[in-house]
Amino acid sequence: MSEMNKSLVDLSDLGLSEEELFSHVDHSKQESEKITAPRYSYWRSVFRVFFRKRINIVILALFALILAFTYIYPVVTDYNPYANLMNASAKHLLPSKAMAMFGRNIHWILGAGASGQSTFDAVWYGSRISITMAFICAAINMTVGIVVGAIWGFSKKVDAVMTQVYNIIGNVPYILFISVLVLIFSAGFWTMVFALTVTGWIAIAYFIRTQVVIIRDREYNLASRCLGTPIFRIAMKNILPFMTSVIVTLAATEIPSYISYEVFLSYIGMGMSDMSLGRLIYQAENAMLTPGWQFEFWSPVVVASIITTVLYVVGQNLGDASDPRTHM
Amino acid sequence: MTKYLIKRILYSIFSIVVVVAIVMVLIYSLMDRQLIFAQDPTYTNLGNNAKVAYQYRRWEEFGYIDYVPYSEWIADLARSGQITEEERSAVTSIGRKPEKDSPETAEYVAKFYEYFESRGYAVRRLDAVMATTRKVANGGNQQLFAYKDKPLSGRLIKYFTGFISVDNIHFASGDVGERGLTFTLHDPVYGGEKFAPAIIGNGTQHKYLLYTDSRFPFLHQNLVSVNLGKSYTVNQGVDVAETMSTPQGSYVTSLVTYPTGHTELSADDLHSARYIEGSREASAVTRDRFVDDYTNVITVKSGLSKIGYSFVIGIIASLMAYVLAVPLGIIMSRHKDKLIDKIGTIYIVFILAVPSLAYIFLFKAIGYKLGLPTTFDMEHATRVMYILPIVSLALPSIANLMKWLRRFMIDQMNADYVKFARSGGLSENEIFSRHILKNAAIPLIHGIPASILGALVGAIITERVYVVPGAGNLLTKAINFYDNGVIVGVTLFYAVLSVTSIILGDVLMSMVDPRISFSSKAR
Repeated sequence: MSEMNKSLVDLSDLGLSEEELFSHVDHSKQESEKITAPRYSYWRSVFRVFFRKRINIVILALFALILAFTYIYPVVTDYNPYANLMNASAKHLLPSKAMAMFGRNIHWILGAGASGQSTFDAVWYGSRISITMAFICAAINMTVGIVVGAIWGFSKKVDAVMTQVYNIIGNVPYILFISVLVLIFSAGFWTMVFALTVTGWIAIAYFIRTQVVIIRDREYNLASRCLGTPIFRIAMKNILPFMTSVIVTLAATEIPSYISYEVFLSYIGMGMSDMSLGRLIYQAENAMLTPGWQFEFWSPVVVASIITTVLYVVGQNLGDASDPRTHM
Repeated sequence: MTKYLIKRILYSIFSIVVVVAIVMVLIYSLMDRQLIFAQDPTYTNLGNNAKVAYQYRRWEEFGYIDYVPYSEWIADLARSGQITEEERSAVTSIGRKPEKDSPETAEYVAKFYEYFESRGYAVRRLDAVMATTRKVANGGNQQLFAYKDKPLSGRLIKYFTGFISVDNIHFASGDVGERGLTFTLHDPVYGGEKFAPAIIGNGTQHKYLLYTDSRFPFLHQNLVSVNLGKSYTVNQGVDVAETMSTPQGSYVTSLVTYPTGHTELSADDLHSARYIEGSREASAVTRDRFVDDYTNVITVKSGLSKIGYSFVIGIIASLMAYVLAVPLGIIMSRHKDKLIDKIGTIYIVFILAVPSLAYIFLFKAIGYKLGLPTTFDMEHATRVMYILPIVSLALPSIANLMKWLRRFMIDQMNADYVKFARSGGLSENEIFSRHILKNAAIPLIHGIPASILGALVGAIITERVYVVPGAGNLLTKAINFYDNGVIVGVTLFYAVLSVTSIILGDVLMSMVDPRISFSSKAR
C-alpha cells in the first residue's frame, strides 16, 4: 500500500485549487465520432516500404543511370555509325586498340564494331529504341488489358465470347502475326509497336479477368452490392485497389519481356529496321566466337540483360511494396 | 464428363478452323503479293508481257489465284473432245492485236471471255509489244488469260476436305492391269520366304499399303496420309507433314533385291514405292530394277526426322526439368528466406529477366570453354552433342517450374490441413513430400501434356544456335520464303497440338484431383 502511494502525486502538494486543476468539458457528438489513428497514405506507405530495403536504392540508382545513358547520352553525343566506314583498320577493334587509335574517351571503352563504329555509342542508341518501344507497348497493352479484363471478369456474357476469342487468338502463332504485319507495313518502329500490341493485350486481359473473377464474389463485394453500390464504383473502389500489387508485378514482367521479344524477333530476322539492341545482337552473332571480336557481341547482350534485370527487380520489389499487407 | 469432353472437342475444332481461316486471310489477303518476287531472279530477268504472265503463273502456284491461260483452256476442250485436234491447232494462237485474230480464233476468244466472265473471272488480254514494226520485243508476245482470286470459303473447304486422303485403287491414271488389293503373308521385298504380312495394292498411289519391318513401330501403313499443305519454295512439291517426318542424314545402304531380281547395295526403301505414270519406261535404271510404274522410292537415312530431333531434345529437356525442378522447388519452399531460397530466387530472376537469346549464347560460350561440341553434326552423331541443346532448353523450364512450385507450396504451408498434420505429429519431411506437394503439384500436372506435345514443335532459338536440324525453324523459314502452304500447315499443326494439350491437361488434372470436376455447372 505504501509503495503504491509513493508513485502517485499528492494533489494537495501542488498547492492548486480544485477549479484550477479540473475544468468541465462539454460532451460533443461530432468530436466523439472522430477516430484517432495515424494518418495513412497508401502511396507514401508503398515508398516507405520500398526504400526500407537498401538494395532497392542501389537498383534504382542503376536504373536512373541506365535511363540517363539511354535518353541523355545520345542527345549530347554525335554518333555516326558510318563515320569510319572507309577506314579498314578501324573495324573490329578491341577496346585497348580502339582507344590507342581514337584517343582515350568514353566512346571507345567497348571497342569498335564491324563498320568501325563505336560499340558503346551503338549500344545506347539501340537501347533508346528498345526501351522506348518496351515502355510504349507496355503502356498500351496494360491499359487495354486492364480495362478489357475488368469488363471480361464482371460480365458473364462477355466472358463466354471473350474466352472463345482468347482460345482462337492464342493459337495463331505470334510470329506469324508479327511477320505479316511487318510485311504489310514496313518494318519500322511503329509497325513493331502495332504488331506487339494488336494481340498482346489479350493475355494481360485474361490474367486480369481471372483475378477479377476471384475477387468479384468475395463477401465484402457481395455486401457492397447489397448496399446498392453501383458496379462501376465497386470496380474502381473495391477491386482495383486490391489489384494494384498484381498490376505492378505484371508490369514488372511485361516491360522486360518486350525487350526480350524484340531481341528474339530481330534474331530470327523479323525485327525492325532501326538499330535496336536486338538488331545489334543479330548482326554481331558471328562475332561471338571470333577471337578479338567478342566485345561487339557481348556488349549489347550484357546491356540488354542489365536493363531487363533492373526493370524486373525494380518492378518486383515495387509490386511487393504495393501490397498493403506489407505496410505494417 | 464424356458429354463435357465432346463439347470441349467440338469447340476446339471450331476454334482450329477459325485459326486456319485467320491465317489464310493474313497470308493470302493482307500480305503484299508482289513480295514473292523480291528475290526471284527469273522475274527480274523477264520483261514486258512475259513478266506479267509469269507473275500470274507464280501467284497460282503460291495459291493466291486461279489462273487459266487461253491456250490451256483450248487444250482442255480438245482433251474432253469438244473440239477436234485440227480445230485446236487452228485457234490456239491468238493475233498480236484483237483485230488480227482469224475469224475462227476470234470466235473462240469471244467464247473464252464469255465462259470465264460469267464465272466471276477477270479476263486480261495483252497486245504484243513490238520492237520494230515487224519484230516482237523480247518477252513481248501477246497474252490472253483469265484469273480470279480464290475465295476464303472455297479455300477453307478445299483445305479441310483434302486434309486426310485415303489411298484407293483408282489412283493410278495409266494402264496398270488389274486393279485391286492383295494380302500376302510373305512380303516379296524380303525374298518371299520370310514370314512378313503385307497388303499390296495395284492401281493405288503406294504399292505397299501395310507392311512390317525392323524399325519402330514395326507395323507401317501408307493407306491414310495427312496433307497439311504443299510447299512451293522451301521444299518444292513436298507436303509439310512429309518434310517434318522424313528421316535426314546420310544414306544407309543395304543389299536390296529389286522386283526384277536385280540385287545391289542401295539405300532405296522399296516399301515406300509410289506410282508415277510411265516412269519405268523413262530410264534404263528403272527398267532394270522395277516391273511396274511403282518406282518412286524414298531412301533410308541414318538420321532422325526434323520432328524426331526436336522431340528427342525436347522430351529429355522436359523430363530433366521435372526431375530437377520438383526437389529444388520443395527445398526452396522448406527453407524459405534462407540462403538456398535466395540462390534459387537469383537464378529464377536471371532466367526470367535476361533475354533468352542472351543466356542461350552464354550456355554456348560456357559449353565451348568446357570442350563440348557447340554445333550439331548429323553425319557423326554422338551423344555429347545433345548435351548443350538439352541444357539450354531445360534450364529455363526448370526456373519456371521452380518458381511456380515454390509459390504454390508456400501458399499451401499456411493451410489448415498442414497445421493439423503437424499437430498430429507428422514429421516435416512427411508433411512436405506427401501432403503439401500433392496439393501444390496439381497446377503443374496440368502442364505435363503441354510440355510433352510441345517437344514436337521444337525450339526456334536453341535449334538455330546449335544448328540442330529440328522442326523449330519450319515456320520462320516458311514465312521468310512466302511458302504459304507450309505456313497454313504448320499453323494447323501447332493449333492442334496446343488445343489437345490443354484438353489433356484438364483431363489429367481431374484424374489426379477428384475435387476438380468439369461436368458440374457451378464454376
